[in-house]
Amino acid sequence: MRSTGILSLAMAALLAGVTAGSALAQPKKGGTLTYTYHPEPTALSTIATTAVPVALISTKIYESLLEYEGAGLTPRPGLAESWTVSPDNLTYTFKLRAGVKWHDGKPFTSEDVKFSIEQIALNYHSRGRTYFGNVEAIETPDAQTVVFRLKAPIPYLLRAFQPSETPMMPKHAFSEQEIAEKKVRQARIMQEPVGTGPFKLKEWRKGSHIILERNADYWKPGKPYLDQVVLRVMPDGAARAIAVEKGEVDLAPTSALPPAEMQRLSKLPHLVASEEGSEGLGPIMWLEVNLRDKPLSDVKVRQAISMAIDRDKLVDVIWYGNGKPARGPIVSGNPNHFDASLPKFEYNPQKAAQMLDEAGYPRGAGGVRFKLTQNFLPYGEEWVRQAEYIRQELGKIGIQVETQSLDMGGWLKRIYTDWDYHFTSNFTHNYSDPTIGVQRAFISSNIRKGASFSNSMDYRNPRLDELLLKAAGMQDGPERKKIWDEVQAILRNDLPVIFLIEIGYTHIWNKRVQGLITNGISMYTNWDSVWIQ
Amino acid sequence: MKKATFQFVLRRLLQVVPVVLAIAAFNFLLLRLAPGDAADILAGQMGHATVEFTEQLRREFGLDRPLYQQFLIYMGKLLTLDLGMSHLQQTPVIDLIVDRLPATLILMVSAILLAVIVGICIGIAAARRQGRLADNLISVAALLVYATPAFWLGLMLIVLFSIKLDILPSGGMMQIGAGHEGLAHVLDVTWHLILPATTLGLFYVAIYTRLMRASMLEVYGLDFIVTARAKGLSEGVIAWTHAMRNALLPVVTLAGVQIGHLLGGSVLVETVFGWPGLGRLVFDALLQRDLNLLLGILFISSVVVVIANLVVDLVYGLLDPRIVHR
Repeated sequence: MRSTGILSLAMAALLAGVTAGSALAQPKKGGTLTYTYHPEPTALSTIATTAVPVALISTKIYESLLEYEGAGLTPRPGLAESWTVSPDNLTYTFKLRAGVKWHDGKPFTSEDVKFSIEQIALNYHSRGRTYFGNVEAIETPDAQTVVFRLKAPIPYLLRAFQPSETPMMPKHAFSEQEIAEKKVRQARIMQEPVGTGPFKLKEWRKGSHIILERNADYWKPGKPYLDQVVLRVMPDGAARAIAVEKGEVDLAPTSALPPAEMQRLSKLPHLVASEEGSEGLGPIMWLEVNLRDKPLSDVKVRQAISMAIDRDKLVDVIWYGNGKPARGPIVSGNPNHFDASLPKFEYNPQKAAQMLDEAGYPRGAGGVRFKLTQNFLPYGEEWVRQAEYIRQELGKIGIQVETQSLDMGGWLKRIYTDWDYHFTSNFTHNYSDPTIGVQRAFISSNIRKGASFSNSMDYRNPRLDELLLKAAGMQDGPERKKIWDEVQAILRNDLPVIFLIEIGYTHIWNKRVQGLITNGISMYTNWDSVWIQ
Repeated sequence: MKKATFQFVLRRLLQVVPVVLAIAAFNFLLLRLAPGDAADILAGQMGHATVEFTEQLRREFGLDRPLYQQFLIYMGKLLTLDLGMSHLQQTPVIDLIVDRLPATLILMVSAILLAVIVGICIGIAAARRQGRLADNLISVAALLVYATPAFWLGLMLIVLFSIKLDILPSGGMMQIGAGHEGLAHVLDVTWHLILPATTLGLFYVAIYTRLMRASMLEVYGLDFIVTARAKGLSEGVIAWTHAMRNALLPVVTLAGVQIGHLLGGSVLVETVFGWPGLGRLVFDALLQRDLNLLLGILFISSVVVVIANLVVDLVYGLLDPRIVHR
């Protein structure tokens, strides 16, 4: 007892020393942060596409109205220095910061905000309608004031103003023709960006690199610390790992390296590997199951399949320790909506086999109960190995699985347009609210041919639909949390998909880089406070 | 240029037009066989996309029209040398290709020069020592190099020269942000070129070594070599002036044929070394179903291959004056 006390005192002293040490380290100005990611961005604005490489770079150039703090994305002032919400949650008034300039020197005004939502986000961003579909009108009483009037409450509206989700675009940079003919994606600004962010484009040599340089007129005094942010395009995973190891590259964000390399590099003394900083994206992986035909329409069969898969082993062996077992549709890193009382899914192959016996699928010739075809997401070799593991485990309980390989175009078409599959691995994001990231996959109104990452399973549950719609029109709080708890319980029981892993986005950086992890979307923030030792 | 040669070149260039158009038409139809299109991919990249969103993209890209209309529009534009817009990058295809083509050409030309020059020299050296230890060693080494996959070789060269010895860069085409100009830029690129060009070229060094050796041995058996020896010429003069020129024809033929092959090989090498050439662009375009971009690259590549073959035909005439172009 006594020795424990001394030990913890010593620990506390040590910790205090560490904290004091890091508090002493003053941010240093100057230097270049080089990161690597593949593929190369196809544009420099998330209006053209929100693919990871585009979001990584464009969020340093463009900003949105708010900034965020912590894993749960608590809103903080950004381009809007303050805001008020009416008691009925139907009117949001934002006061814009004065003196903010676009990279071309023109002032940022309320007209730009109105334009960015009405003309750009709603028409071009794939989640624009989800965020702003219930906006009735946007008013601009003066150059520094924007008023959003809503038809119904939007519970996540204050989390919608992330730089990758709702970037503010300069109205003056688009021609009337581009707007009228809906040719925004071809506008010059997609390749030659004009934002308000701490960095602006200096050079883009396609296939080689992009250089962003410090915006000397940035509205935050003294920021950014870095002189340059450089993206090095390196198509080969092993070569990317070598560059990080050698220190040629400072950062490999968002699982930019092959899992085996990440595991190796995470042990090197000069590098840091962390899964923190992506809670606001909430990446999750599951097996999507086509419920249209027997035997997969039988919930007992799905429960048996779920029980036959050892999720810990998946994490450790296939994903080299990257991620953790999923406990339901909402990721456990989401502090606002996850039900922390949920247990892990049970792994018990004997019981799984017994359940199949009871469900009326006895073993036939060669021990086979029935045959299924599986597809997998064509994102790399780990996905192939995972499919191989699942084939092997299901084989043990008498389900013979044949694996089918398709590339991305073919996969999307087969799963979401043809609905021609038995089950497939899939990977989606919760985003900052389950109404955005979870509802889409399970609500029955989203059983629509050709809609990607929708309810391809044909899962219909009136009670769930009712809960999802109720939560969508309600402010966060204990009442809404209760609804999400019930949603999680229903989906865990029905298993329209077999929840597998909360796959972690691992970021690996050189120890000389400081201040990277700031909130739940750390790689999609503007890095104005990142510095190099 | 002689009049006959000029007419030959002109005729060959005219023949190129239908060939290249036929290749383009074939590619267009072949690529349509793959399921899914650029709208699917882009919508997929954006996370959840509604049916309306995907349809809007399809309209923007002109993919909502019937196939025959798309085909006629594409071929019509091609006749005016308009390669269209890249679906995913929303940039004219020709701009994207012009950005990347020089890097690939530099890599290919360096690799093939390395392969031809080194291959010829080693091949001749081996032929002159036929059956002796040096000849056997060269043959074994050539066989080993021939059997080594380029991506593995590339990674091993990086490990050796970039990590262990730290004397050459691990990838890229230039020092980023250094802003070198003029001679400094040329030197910088050359510095970065050494490993990728060697990786791409070594395989062909092995081929040309074997080919040149066999070809030299064949020429050595011909009467005019016996005559040269009878005249009392030294072995060196016989090898480098009499035999080599005659033995070169098969090497040149093969080099011409292999230009297309080399373009394919550059995909892997460009990937390993992050070399900003066409090879990687073609791979990404294929995965993303960026058909216009893909068709544009295949079109330009077929033009490059056809022109390379024309150059080979002209080199024949230089090597062997008896060959007349008609």
